[in-house]
Amino acid sequence: MALSSFLLWAGLFAAEMGKFMKPEKVVLVLARCYSTHKAVIVKNIDDGTSDRPYSHALVAGIDHYPRKVTAAMGKKKITKRSKIKSFVKVYNYSRLMPTRYSVDIPLDKTVVNTDVFRDPPLKCKARQEARVKFEERYKTGKNKWFFQKLQF
Amino acid sequence: MVTAKKMKKYLELINFRLQLVMKSGKYVLGYKQTLKIIRHGKAKLVILTNNCSALRKSETEYHAVLAKTGVHHYKGNNIELSTACRKHYRVCTLSITDPGDTDIIISLEAYQNRLVKNKTIFFFNKIWL
Repeated sequence: MALSSFLLWAGLFAAEMGKFMKPEKVVLVLARCYSTHKAVIVKNIDDGTSDRPYSHALVAGIDHYPRKVTAAMGKKKITKRSKIKSFVKVYNYSRLMPTRYSVDIPLDKTVVNTDVFRDPPLKCKARQEARVKFEERYKTGKNKWFFQKLQF
Repeated sequence: MVTAKKMKKYLELINFRLQLVMKSGKYVLGYKQTLKIIRHGKAKLVILTNNCSALRKSETEYHAVLAKTGVHHYKGNNIELSTACRKHYRVCTLSITDPGDTDIIISLEAYQNRLVKNKTIFFFNKIWL
C-alpha cells in the first residue's frame, strides 16, 4: 500500500498537462445559492465573451437531489422520491470546483445554451430538458456519486 | 531528518534554476493566478511552500492532478521562496508556464524520482528484515 501511494506520488510528475474544464465534467458549485451542489459542464468558454470577459462555463446541475429510496417502498412512493429538480446557470471558473468525475449525459445543445437566460420560458425549457435527462440517468443507477448530496 | 548537506544541495539545485526562470521564462506568482493558469492547462510546474495552508495546498494539488501538472513542495517557507525568486513580497504558490532556458522541470522530476527510488528501497529493506 505504501508502494502504490509512492507510485501515485511519482505519477504526479507526468510530462503532459491538459485542460480539464470540458463538457461532461462534474463540478461543485461554490457560489451562493447552489453552493455544494453538483453540476455538469455543458459548455465551457475559456476566453470569455464581450459581456463576460472572463472564463466561464454553462453548467446544468441538481437543485433538489432525489430522496433516499429503500427496497421496502412501493413503486408510487419510489417515483415520487426519485424526482430531481435541476438548474441551468453560467458560472465563472473561480466559482466552480472541478472533480475527477464525469457524466456523459447528452444534453440537447439547442435547448440548453447561453442564450436561454434572456427569456424565462426558454430557461424553463432548458431546465426541463436537464431534469428529464438527469432523471433518466438516475433510474439506470449509473453515476451514483453525481446524484448524491455532498455530505459535509 | 534532512541533513544540512542534503538541504544545501537541494537549495543549490532549485534556487539557481528558479532565478533563471524569473529572468528567462514565464511564470505566475500567487494562489489565484496559479489556479487560473492550471485551469487553462498552461501550467507546467506548480511550486508550493511548506507553510502554505493545508486547504490551499490540497486544492492546488487536486487541480494539478486533474491537469496532469507536476507539483513540487519547496523545502522552505514563503519568505525563502520569495528570496529565491528575487521578489520583495512573500510567495506561497507559484506556477511556471514556460521554463525558458532552464531544465527546472526535468531536474525536479529526476530529483523526485531519486527520492521515490530511495524510499522504495528503504521500504523493501524494512520488509526483508
